[in-house]
Amino acid sequence: MADDEKREQMEVGSGDVDINDKKPDKMFGLKKWNLVAMWSWDVECDTCAICRVQVMDTCLRCQAENKQQECVVVWGECNHSFHNCCMSLWLKQNNRCPLCQQEWALQTTGK
Amino acid sequence: MMKKDEWQFEEKWPKMRPCVLKLLRQDSVSRSEWQELFMNVHLVCLWDDRNGPPRVHEALRTDILDFIEQAQKRVLDHQEDSALLKAYIAEWKKFFTQCTYLPLPFGQLETTLTNKASPSSQSKKNQNDESIVRKLMLDSWNESIFSAIKQRLQDSAMKLVHAERNGEAFDSQLVIGVRESYVNLCSDPEDKLKIYKENFEKSYMDATEAFYKAKAPLYLQANGVQNYMRWADLALKEEEQRAMKYLETRPGCTSVAALTECCVNVLVTEFKEQILAECAEMIKGNETDRLQLMFKLMDRVPDGIAPMLKDLEEHIVSQGLADMNSAAEFITSDSEKYVEQLLDLFTRFSQLASDAFSDDPRFLTSRDKAYKHVVNDISVFKLELPTKQKGIQNKTQPESKCPELLANFCDMLLRKTPLSKRLTSDEIEGKLKNVLLVLKYVQNKDVFMRYHKAHLTRRLILDTSADSEKEENMVEWLREVGMPADFVNKLARMFQDIKVSQTLNQEFKDALYLNSKEIIADYVNIKILNAGAWMRSSERVPVSLPRELEDYIPEVEEFYKRKHNGRKLQWHHVMSNGIITFCNEVGRFDLEVTTFQMAVVFAWNQRPKDKITFENLKLATQLQDIELRRTLWSLIAFPKIKRQVVLCEPEARSPKDFTDATLFWINQKFALVKNGKMQQRGKINLIGRLQLSTEKSKEEDNEGIVQLRILRTQEAIVKIMKMRKKITNAQLQSELVEILKNMFLPSKKMIKEQIEWLIEHRYMHRDEDNINMFIYMA
Repeated sequence: MADDEKREQMEVGSGDVDINDKKPDKMFGLKKWNLVAMWSWDVECDTCAICRVQVMDTCLRCQAENKQQECVVVWGECNHSFHNCCMSLWLKQNNRCPLCQQEWALQTTGK
Repeated sequence: MMKKDEWQFEEKWPKMRPCVLKLLRQDSVSRSEWQELFMNVHLVCLWDDRNGPPRVHEALRTDILDFIEQAQKRVLDHQEDSALLKAYIAEWKKFFTQCTYLPLPFGQLETTLTNKASPSSQSKKNQNDESIVRKLMLDSWNESIFSAIKQRLQDSAMKLVHAERNGEAFDSQLVIGVRESYVNLCSDPEDKLKIYKENFEKSYMDATEAFYKAKAPLYLQANGVQNYMRWADLALKEEEQRAMKYLETRPGCTSVAALTECCVNVLVTEFKEQILAECAEMIKGNETDRLQLMFKLMDRVPDGIAPMLKDLEEHIVSQGLADMNSAAEFITSDSEKYVEQLLDLFTRFSQLASDAFSDDPRFLTSRDKAYKHVVNDISVFKLELPTKQKGIQNKTQPESKCPELLANFCDMLLRKTPLSKRLTSDEIEGKLKNVLLVLKYVQNKDVFMRYHKAHLTRRLILDTSADSEKEENMVEWLREVGMPADFVNKLARMFQDIKVSQTLNQEFKDALYLNSKEIIADYVNIKILNAGAWMRSSERVPVSLPRELEDYIPEVEEFYKRKHNGRKLQWHHVMSNGIITFCNEVGRFDLEVTTFQMAVVFAWNQRPKDKITFENLKLATQLQDIELRRTLWSLIAFPKIKRQVVLCEPEARSPKDFTDATLFWINQKFALVKNGKMQQRGKINLIGRLQLSTEKSKEEDNEGIVQLRILRTQEAIVKIMKMRKKITNAQLQSELVEILKNMFLPSKKMIKEQIEWLIEHRYMHRDEDNINMFIYMA
């Protein structure tokens, strides 16, 4: 009941909210908004099964070489994900997903 | 036959003798006499080879002895000591000079005699060594005159030295001369200084010891310890110099050192306890000169320094804690004062160590140990934290608040604050370095790291860094002082990430301009950060955004999706903030607020004059109870402003006083007051310290620290075990502390628990024969 009331008020207000330039009309108006968000790889398992480092961190190789930006994540058709660096090395030896043993087929590369 | 007889001893000796006697007496000898002596010695040795040489030797001895006897008589004619010494030295000098000349003509005799004694040719060696005649001369001197009067000689010499000690001047050559005779007299090739050591050196030492043994206690009694120290120091120096003068100093001779040791024994070691008893008081009184003196004296005594170290340590601890406690009231509320007080103590103690103990490493170690104690002491901490932060590590021992205050102080220096604006760049740098200095002594560095990171996060997100170059320098300095690399790297990563995010924000705006959405571009800035670099646990804090804000979200998400692949976004409204305009009866103001504060005040936009209950605000904002309380409190009781944005009824003294029925309304009379005048326009920051975490997650954070410590301890134990395979408990503990000291000091209890855990989980086991020995299990 109270919930509904609130929603109603919000909607009623929304009509004249859109244009913030009409400042005098409103008691509070927006001038600047600094939005903060965190991004992370959209993965099911947050650890790379090859190097055992969390995918949000760069893989061991890139940590050693201090390459932060290039170390992205890849997803296979099987929906398993790894550091791209780790996976490309892995594929040189074995064309299967290390987790499910299915033949590796690239689904997406993170960027 | 006839000729041979001529060359017999009986024949020749009478011809040789006058010359020998002349030589002994240092009368002049003509060239022909001198050469004839050579000749004769040669002849006798060659032709009278059976009896000749021994008889020459014998005859020589008789004459030498005879001569010495006369010399002795001449010497003993003098009754008075210095005259006797003078005479002796004169005789000796003459004789000693002859010791080099007289043997020369008897070269052949030497060869013959030695060949006889040991047919296997050792002659060559002997020639280089002391010659037989010389030995004969010196031995004779030693046996006759010397043995007879050496006691008198020594006594006289010592009397002179004694007189000198009492301040009477005399000819030091007398003593030196005597010494030289002792030194040169010995013909024993094994130990050339034997006679000197057994007689002169010994009696010199005995005399010295006796002199001070008699004098020192009297002086101490009459003049007190402090004067005594000065006197003893002077005496030591004097004796050292005197020893250099009167004792043998040739390389390999340890007389001077031995004498010094003897003096130290009599003068210092003997009175060690009495002297040291004054140390504590002197440290307290900062009597650096006297301490310096005591240090110099005690440093010569075995173990003499140890009690002084202890005194210094105790002084620093008690003085440091007393100072901290007496200032507790203002230093606990002001991190700048706290850090300055700590630094002041450090400077004072360092000054003491430098002035009184010349920065001797042993004293510096004591200073460090004691200072560490002061820094990590929890008495100030306890004073300061009554119940406010009872959450902090309530499961472990309380810890010093020092790291938190240090981090706060760093923040004040690195953020745009009145303090950082007042100081020059160099001053700030100096103060940061000071923080690092104190940090070195902090045991729970992990607490510092956590606070430092939180402050940095705040500065970067709110763009409040005073100087970004300094920020990055600080990261490197932290690395230099040995902060764990993973921590420092994480900080560095935050800087990198914020730069990436700035670029992204620009791209976002460019894209909006292209699509003619300039308005949004003007209003919104985005910071999209790498969760890995900033925070691991991403607790969702629900909030219902006002429509004004909510509408921008899809715009951002869409843009981000076009830009990146495979990423998901999580909004962190806890950190978002902005500027809003506030119009009321008085005027128009710009308020810098958090997104939560926005969410709350925007609830009034539709009903500006209404009073809204706490319950309804909760519904409108969807904020958790505790977050809503906190946010409302920041609008009702923001420090340092006279008129608040929001008012409430009934009055509340703390956020806890709000009930569901408490009524809130916007203060239409809100205004900024400057110099007692109401302002119609103006800008104010209501963010205060941005809360990065919610109340709930704060507690979790503290538990997180404990949890992390446990993991770090386990990790370190395994690391050590893996390397050592087998290790004793004691060694394991000390290596563990070494590994972890840059993060925290593991308690004995925790180490024990973790060892038990690791044993239980079969990482290691105890040695069957020795329960204090652990063995790694692969």
